Amino acid sequence: MATMLAPLRRYTKTAAMAATSYVGDSPLFLADYLLRLVRVLVLLSIWRTILTGRGTVSGMTLGAVLTYTLIGEAFAEQLSVRTELGNALWEGSVATRFLQPMSMVGQFASDMIGRWCFGLCAFSLPLLLLSRLLDVSPQPASPAAGGWFILSLILGTSVGLALEFIFASLAVALEQPIWFIDYVRRAVTTLLSGALVPFALLPEGIGVVFTWLPFASTASAPLRIYTGTGDAVRLLLVQVGWSILLWALARWLWQVSREKLVGFGG
Amino acid sequence: MPVPDRSAISASDTVVELTGVWKRYRQKQRSAQLREVVRTMLRPTVRTIEALRGIDLQVQRGEIVAYAGPNGAGKSTTVKLLSGLLAPDAGSVRVFGLDPVRDRVRYVRRIGVVFGQRTELWWDHSIAASYEWKRVVWDVPRDRYERMLGFVKELLGLDEFFHTTARELSLGQKMRADLGMALLHEPEILFLDEPTLGLDVLAKRQMLQFVKDLNRERQVTVMVTSHDMSDLEQLAGRIVMIHHGNIAFDGDFDQLRRAFSDRRRLLIETAEATAPRLAGADLLHSAAGRHEYVFDASEVKIAALLEQAAAQAQVLDVETHRADIDDVIADIYLRWQHDGKAQALATDAQSSQAQPAAPPAPTDA
Amino acid sequence: MANGLARALLRILQLWRLYGAMDVIWIARDAKTFITWYITDIVVNGAAVTATLLLAERFSGIGPWAKSQVLFLLGYAVLASGLLDPFCNYNVKYVSRRLGRGQLDHTLIQPQPIWMALLTEGFSPLSGTAALLPGLVLLVWATHALHLSVTPAWIAALLLNLLASAIIILAFSYLWGSLAFWAPRSAEEISSSALRTLDQLKSFPLDGLGLGLLGGLLTVLPVGFVAWYPCRALLGIEQSAYQLFTTPIAAAIISAAAILAFRGGLKQYARTGSQRYLSFGHRR
Repeated sequence: MATMLAPLRRYTKTAAMAATSYVGDSPLFLADYLLRLVRVLVLLSIWRTILTGRGTVSGMTLGAVLTYTLIGEAFAEQLSVRTELGNALWEGSVATRFLQPMSMVGQFASDMIGRWCFGLCAFSLPLLLLSRLLDVSPQPASPAAGGWFILSLILGTSVGLALEFIFASLAVALEQPIWFIDYVRRAVTTLLSGALVPFALLPEGIGVVFTWLPFASTASAPLRIYTGTGDAVRLLLVQVGWSILLWALARWLWQVSREKLVGFGG
Repeated sequence: MPVPDRSAISASDTVVELTGVWKRYRQKQRSAQLREVVRTMLRPTVRTIEALRGIDLQVQRGEIVAYAGPNGAGKSTTVKLLSGLLAPDAGSVRVFGLDPVRDRVRYVRRIGVVFGQRTELWWDHSIAASYEWKRVVWDVPRDRYERMLGFVKELLGLDEFFHTTARELSLGQKMRADLGMALLHEPEILFLDEPTLGLDVLAKRQMLQFVKDLNRERQVTVMVTSHDMSDLEQLAGRIVMIHHGNIAFDGDFDQLRRAFSDRRRLLIETAEATAPRLAGADLLHSAAGRHEYVFDASEVKIAALLEQAAAQAQVLDVETHRADIDDVIADIYLRWQHDGKAQALATDAQSSQAQPAAPPAPTDA
Repeated sequence: MANGLARALLRILQLWRLYGAMDVIWIARDAKTFITWYITDIVVNGAAVTATLLLAERFSGIGPWAKSQVLFLLGYAVLASGLLDPFCNYNVKYVSRRLGRGQLDHTLIQPQPIWMALLTEGFSPLSGTAALLPGLVLLVWATHALHLSVTPAWIAALLLNLLASAIIILAFSYLWGSLAFWAPRSAEEISSSALRTLDQLKSFPLDGLGLGLLGGLLTVLPVGFVAWYPCRALLGIEQSAYQLFTTPIAAAIISAAAILAFRGGLKQYARTGSQRYLSFGHRR
């Protein structure tokens, strides 16, 4: 039993270290949460401006769009997966990660989950509690939608993690600075993931195309399931499909770039 | 800026003057306990460190001064104060009569700084491009630049990688390039903070020789910090040791040895494999009849040790030399550690009876 | 005084020439880098405006703004940011990174005033200009579609407001970024967080926001002055011609606040220095 729990302890300890890495320092890092709050307030106002009086738009009511935006911001970190892999590559400290008795994916994932904990407590939960003051319903379309949302979020995280490793391997393969690849990825995924603008509000056809791209599995799929504006089963199957495909690609790219990875950066 | 006519300047003029310099840092203490996390965020425990405690220091033009001390003694803080990166909390720092912080722009034209753990090179550019950048930003006249460039390229062996990007250089090559870069504007004083960090034996030797040549030929004053004592002994005529923010020693290396101990090494070769037991000397190692001991020559005479050895074994050969400076310094640090612990115990005992007087609060610089 | 000013200007030009040359050397070091950089910059700038463009297309405008007016707003927003990029590479714009990573020392050992170093070190005339063309294209296209009366006075007003918007973005980054003097670890990424918020919201018309929120977006978080407010004035949505000067005045106020904050931070830095040092992003 102890042997089975030992790996779990390693990862939970890593997560705990990451969760507390900012705490004890100045509280100025909380300014980021303030900025996120402002962003969500502005976006909610913009949707009200655009959609008031238009009824249902491509299956989405104003209420659904507002909930979509609120949940999208509350779970922004989970819908746009970022790990310390980029920093480790830039610092050239990836090599030391190979010396730790944990899988690389496990290390970075547990670190990422640890960092999430603080944000979930300090921002996500208060935002959800305040939602009524903002005249936005935080509730899922149905209890089943809420349940499927959790599964979809896990799958979306899986897809996001795979993309992390793919982009990192590409940066190494192309011999480009990791910050550069991250800069491109961030700009592109904001639009293609559906985190900022629901696909239903885009011109016909464009939204459909975006839905089939892997980025949509990270944000649009869980949010559509939550708001009941998408076929949950179909969206989950697409996420599973992308998860399998992208992890196979990530694994292959990682193995191919393994030697270069160790000496990259620094 | 015209090159100073160094022949007209008295060899004994003071270039660096620290008077009653205090520097304190505040460090937040963090708990390893999850349950302490909120408390440390809202009411952190703060530790105040007195990096420098009213130090006085003067350096004359043309000197090479080694500035040494254990980790956390205040060495890098001193270099940062002298480089104009920090202002003292109390006291004054003057170099060439200038205040390094207030007169920064004028001042930094006359100094060169090399931090062992930081490079001034442009990462994605060649050394040539970084040096050209230096020429423009420091406004070095072209003829002076070319002259110094030739000088540093030759003495530091930069030609082989002069057109390579910094990112692709080894640590030793980067350090040499950094040193060359720090000299392009012909500084009058050079501050070297751990310049031999991570260098191999040959690279270290080359760098040290270069600095000595520079000092001899161009009268550049040098202040160097390092943990590598043998490097410092080769390089500097004067060593200033700093401990807990105070200057604990200021003199030459021979005086240092005599002041703290006169450690010597004794190598005895005997016909027997077993090492003789010598009262007053510690056996370091013994192999195939060769036995090395360390002893304090101020406490026990070599003759007495040899007498003891001869009484126990057939002595075939004897060799004696001064203890490595690293051993001397290690002894000093160990003694300071013990003194520090003793003082801490004494302070605890005293504080349980009465409040000790607080150190004087530094006034603003 | 005039002499000193002339010398300073000459020096700035000299340094720009130096950094410009270094930028050319860097980006042209191999064909792969050159092509990758430009393609990705186009993609990034395209992605930045696509969401709003698509929304405007779908709903024939956003709120009271017609499609072409939204296009004008987007072009202006891209151009305002684009004006900064050639001058603010190497984290000059994201100043909190330099401060938080203890990299200010590299600037302090240079024999020039800090403002001159920051004004020139980030000059990247080749690698930093990718946003200018798309921004200009959008602006010209929108101007034509709106049949705007493009007089010299209007162009002067456009340039003045564009410059003011660019200054506001930079001043905002420095105002928040100065917090890194006091909290280098926590505030290291505060400039990038603040500018990211600005970037994401700059291309949306802000009509319809509550007074309180709008007030905040025209003061503490000046998103409104990046594009929305100056475009209202330039497109004649505002009735008073004096509104053309509001953004420049806001730029002066925010800049003054940023300078005060930064100078206060420098005094703090002279006392405490930096206990951190990370070389990432420094001259990379």
